[in-house]
Amino acid sequence: MSSMNKRHMLVFLVLALVLAVTAVAVSACGEEGTTGTTGAGGEKPVKGGTFSFYIGEPAFIDPVNGQESEGIQVINAVFDSLLFFDSKAGKLVPAAAEKWEANADASVWTFHLNKDAKFHNGRKVTAADFKYAWERICNPVNESEISYHLSAVKGFQAMQDGTATELEGVKAVDDYTLEVTLEYPFADFEFVVSHPSLCPVPKEEVEKDPKAFAEKPVGNGPFMMAEPWAHDQYIKVVRFDDYYGQKAYLDGVDFKIFKDDETAFLEFKAGNLDFTVIPSGQVKAVAAEYGESPDGYTVEPGKQVLLGPEVSIYYILFNTKDDVLKNVDLRRAISLAINRQAICDTVYEGMRVPATGIVPSGILGYLDNQWAYCKYDPAQAKELLAKAGYPDGQGLPEISIGFNTGRGHEDVMALIQANLKDIGIQAKLDGVEWAQYLDKLDTGEFQMARLGWLADYPIMDNFLYPLFYSKSADNHSFYENPTVDEKLLAARKITDVDARIKAYQEVDRMIGEDAPVIPVNVYRHGRLGSDRIRGFMFDNMGLADLASVWIAAK
Amino acid sequence: MIAYIVRRILQMIPVFLGVTVILFILRAPGILPGDPVRMITGEKAISETLYNQIVKKYGLDEPLVVQYGKYLANVVRGDLGDSYQKGRAVTDILMDKLPNTIKLAIAAIIIEMLFGIAAGVISAIKRYSFWDILVTLSTSVLVSIPVFWLGMLLQLVFGVKFKQWGLPYLPVSGMKSAQFPTAIHIILPAVTLASVSTAYAARIMRSQLLEVIGQDYIRTAMAKGLTYRRVISGHAMKNALIPVVTFLGLDLGAMIGGTILTETVFNWPGIGYEMFLAIGQRDWPIVMGGTIIIVLLVMVINLLVDISYAFLDPRIRYGRHEA
Repeated sequence: MSSMNKRHMLVFLVLALVLAVTAVAVSACGEEGTTGTTGAGGEKPVKGGTFSFYIGEPAFIDPVNGQESEGIQVINAVFDSLLFFDSKAGKLVPAAAEKWEANADASVWTFHLNKDAKFHNGRKVTAADFKYAWERICNPVNESEISYHLSAVKGFQAMQDGTATELEGVKAVDDYTLEVTLEYPFADFEFVVSHPSLCPVPKEEVEKDPKAFAEKPVGNGPFMMAEPWAHDQYIKVVRFDDYYGQKAYLDGVDFKIFKDDETAFLEFKAGNLDFTVIPSGQVKAVAAEYGESPDGYTVEPGKQVLLGPEVSIYYILFNTKDDVLKNVDLRRAISLAINRQAICDTVYEGMRVPATGIVPSGILGYLDNQWAYCKYDPAQAKELLAKAGYPDGQGLPEISIGFNTGRGHEDVMALIQANLKDIGIQAKLDGVEWAQYLDKLDTGEFQMARLGWLADYPIMDNFLYPLFYSKSADNHSFYENPTVDEKLLAARKITDVDARIKAYQEVDRMIGEDAPVIPVNVYRHGRLGSDRIRGFMFDNMGLADLASVWIAAK
Repeated sequence: MIAYIVRRILQMIPVFLGVTVILFILRAPGILPGDPVRMITGEKAISETLYNQIVKKYGLDEPLVVQYGKYLANVVRGDLGDSYQKGRAVTDILMDKLPNTIKLAIAAIIIEMLFGIAAGVISAIKRYSFWDILVTLSTSVLVSIPVFWLGMLLQLVFGVKFKQWGLPYLPVSGMKSAQFPTAIHIILPAVTLASVSTAYAARIMRSQLLEVIGQDYIRTAMAKGLTYRRVISGHAMKNALIPVVTFLGLDLGAMIGGTILTETVFNWPGIGYEMFLAIGQRDWPIVMGGTIIIVLLVMVINLLVDISYAFLDPRIRYGRHEA
């Protein structure tokens, strides 16, 4: 080839590359989407295939410390607890325990285990494995941050204090009967034991090599670890063929670990992921491209975007011990001044739902508009502000609103600041990074401050007791109402479900009257599934029953 | 030369001590707010017993000077402690992540050397030609493009679109997969990481070479009848390369310290993102261990760069009398 030809060829190549890049960039900005991977397959479950599931790097996948949603997702696939909350049916269903009962005041619980259940090492699961697992969580040597789940069990405090090595209240009556005695009656305890981290663990595997177990736990669930956790890359699980329940259709699940939602979304577009998070700011476009799931939780071809509300809430604390904010009418006025819908629409692109109380929808016993002052009513807010002794905000000192910086909190706080200004309240924003923020919350160095609360179990008690019982360590608003305390403890003793729910609804309303916090909004999923997955549901607790999922035949 | 190397290695000791002292001062109460125990335990409350247990385990109740002494003693034995957040040994975490960052940094430096130097040389020897203008323009563009945007564009074109068009494609992210080995996975992140520095290297190379070409000894070499190619490669390049090598050496050091954006966009499991998280979480063992290793590596790289000068320019000699 002559040098002239070479030169022409090079110029052509460079120009072609520039044109290709430009064309793609332009088409990416304005393209009408295709739903893209394979077409819809047969509706009958088929075996085989690997499901690729986006998660962030978990903190732990050993149930001894299974806490955040990423680790819980893996634990839920690898382990089975005593019971499972079926959010479709809205009730608890058997898992490792095939039946269970409580005594008259719900202080002693008996669980009858499924005799066919095995660990992935082939050994049968016994009641002693639950006792061992729970004691492992309660033993302070293991520094479990989730021991609070078992705080109702008799002997919990003694173990935490290091004065006992066993949980007095947990007894393996025989290989397949587990008896749990509580410190106090707690009728919702059955929901507590459905938490994925309260599963059994095989002692022999843990004691053989605790570090190896933390990287490759051996469980009793429908999937087993294929290889040790590749940190920041992936966690692979494969079907456990000796599983006692509904065996998984999938050959396995690859939990692919990403740092960034945008990257995961591109992997989804490239066909390398089956379930991902929708990057912020793209929800509407993605919903238009892939179709919105009618119920918000299940994926079908063409209806792949999940926007169902979660059982978690974004709220603002009042420091009820603060000289100014101990005034209940002032707190009510502030709560009424906040335009929750505007926050959901402008900051979260509709990805949040305005809260109408501290208990989100999806929790058993939820009632709409349960908190009288949890709505936007500037006129009533002004009246209450005057009643509080500050007509049009006169005489009211500037109020500080604390928050941890990032994640859009600045924008939410700025809107709240503007809402308060509308009724005459001057507020200043105090944003600090998370580490410093937690210090402030603990020491009570705030007037108002934001927090989020994610339910561990789908029950009202899981919101009301931790956040408002006067002695609860999570009661950051320092709220203290002896009647509420009394009623909360009384509700825990009611074994009749309907009566119990009614009792919680009453105490919920009472707390709402005192407005110790401002519920702002409820989180929504914002997830996207591929069109080749079937039988997939991502429930309001953020859990997927992966054993029921299959990949459509091509 | 050996005495020089030994002296440089000995100089690392006070630097190492200085870095560890500064990091320990940052841990002192009131300097950088944030309770590491609270960061370990997260948002939900824990019992006081457990809190005290964690404080005791990590020796956080001891005076800072005692903590420092114990830390140094452990470091000398090769023990960098356990991460507060992950409970894993810091050495394990760093050994997992650091090689990945080094691989990425080396791949990026190779790209910078090959393309940066080549583009700079072509641009200088064909001054004001089409190629010179192309290099000048493209380096301007590269310098102005944000790294994360370029990364995402490359992912979209070569990972998503090429696959959809049925062309040979590259992996979007990650370090290994069933379809591709690490060597293929590294291409896009390395190109992204190298983009800005390649442009700088090309510009430095061009200006240095132009300056050298104008000097007397080059004219003399030409007058002796040496070929243009021989003059450039044998005489001009050696001198013109020194600033480029300095730049590349510094750049390699900076990349070893972590490249948070590239690691995040390409989901590359490197040290930068790990350190970034650890600082926010007050995970001091990772921050300390990571910083110590990175500082030592950067010092070694700087030493190697300094030694390379002697090979590039025979007039540079490191001896006791020159110190």
